[in-house]
Amino acid sequence: MADTNPVAHLPRPDEGGPDIAGMLLGVAAGEAGALRRLYEAQASRLFGVAMAILRDRDAAADALHDAMVRIARRAGQFDPARGEAPAWLAAVVRNAALDLARLRGRESPTDDPRLGDAVLAPEALERIALSQQSLRLRECLAALEPRNRDGIVLAFVHGLSHAQIAARLDEPLGTVKAWIRRGLLRLKGCLA
Amino acid sequence: MIPSDAEALDLLAAEHVLGTLDAREAEAVRRALPVNGALREAVLAWEARLAPLTGLAPPAEPPPGLLPRIEASLAAEAAPVVPMAPRTARPAAPGPFWKAWAIGSSAVAAGLALFLAMRPAEGPRMTTVLLSSRDQPAWLVEAEGGGLRLASVNPRPVEAGRVQQLWALPNGATVPISLGLVPEGGQASVAPGIVRPEPGMLIEISLEPPGGSPTGRPTGPVLFIGRLAPARLL
Repeated sequence: MADTNPVAHLPRPDEGGPDIAGMLLGVAAGEAGALRRLYEAQASRLFGVAMAILRDRDAAADALHDAMVRIARRAGQFDPARGEAPAWLAAVVRNAALDLARLRGRESPTDDPRLGDAVLAPEALERIALSQQSLRLRECLAALEPRNRDGIVLAFVHGLSHAQIAARLDEPLGTVKAWIRRGLLRLKGCLA
Repeated sequence: MIPSDAEALDLLAAEHVLGTLDAREAEAVRRALPVNGALREAVLAWEARLAPLTGLAPPAEPPPGLLPRIEASLAAEAAPVVPMAPRTARPAAPGPFWKAWAIGSSAVAAGLALFLAMRPAEGPRMTTVLLSSRDQPAWLVEAEGGGLRLASVNPRPVEAGRVQQLWALPNGATVPISLGLVPEGGQASVAPGIVRPEPGMLIEISLEPPGGSPTGRPTGPVLFIGRLAPARLL
């Protein structure tokens, strides 16, 4: 499985920003102030990730709190050979936010106006960072049928359940599940 | 619950990372991750594939009080339960008692309490016996000098891929305080200052994922529970 990972072997994107991996290793080593530096460098990005899923500042703050506690505790599990530090951080935040979203009863359909329509606009993909692996994902997403792509973005970025996506796209639940699965499989094939 | 078929497993991993699994399914995946290498690899690969999508979420400034709140939570759990120091490093008196407890696995709670009550008093000492859901004595807890000591009276293996976490619920509190993870070996101590032992305080051990509760509150079943009381009144 590791050998088929499409992005693990690509060169790191040259972002020229702060050394997030180094900060994370500092947290793992128990360095004083390392967590604060990591928070200051990443909080607005990570809070944005939680906000996109929860659309509520208090809930997003709870999610980022839980995630930072997990990050402090599990920083030693981060393996620079297996992936990017910012992606690892975002995955922990997403999991914490999704846990909260599930606790808050995500299973009911939503017509949340805060979601807006911009999230499904084709140009939204332009916001994906311009690293090599991101460009590849962008190409692969663009090659998907729009409804498959929309389902994946609504789930991954906005934390919607199958039922909520079905309500939003006004399609039967079973159809939406099948679209998303097909989209995921196409994406995997495209990235391979 | 976790398929062995490679394609079905990969799809489950993809939907886990995508976030579309419901709470029950997501929990099943989370429980399987530490013990299922193929599932773990599949989840890591999907996280790597989809990670750039997080860039679609516009950055937002978190509330200013959040960092202090995070630091306070971390400070509260900073002092983990550590295995007890070697006996030779401690005053001789308590040693044999704890050894006796560990051996006397069939003793019932009332018997333990009586034995404790017979110990010479050294200032205010509180004790409790943590009972299982079937009222079987499992851990003996003693509060002394502001800290806690625990000894297993009925050692049993911890469920594979899980850890035991120790919690205290002071009187009037609604949220338990983590006292750290319970080490293997049947003995543990909590340094003074993490929690102030008081009569009536609940002590409990819950079953948690590796690394301890991800939320700062017990997430798994409470395995053992007891309430601190002055030793002489037990």
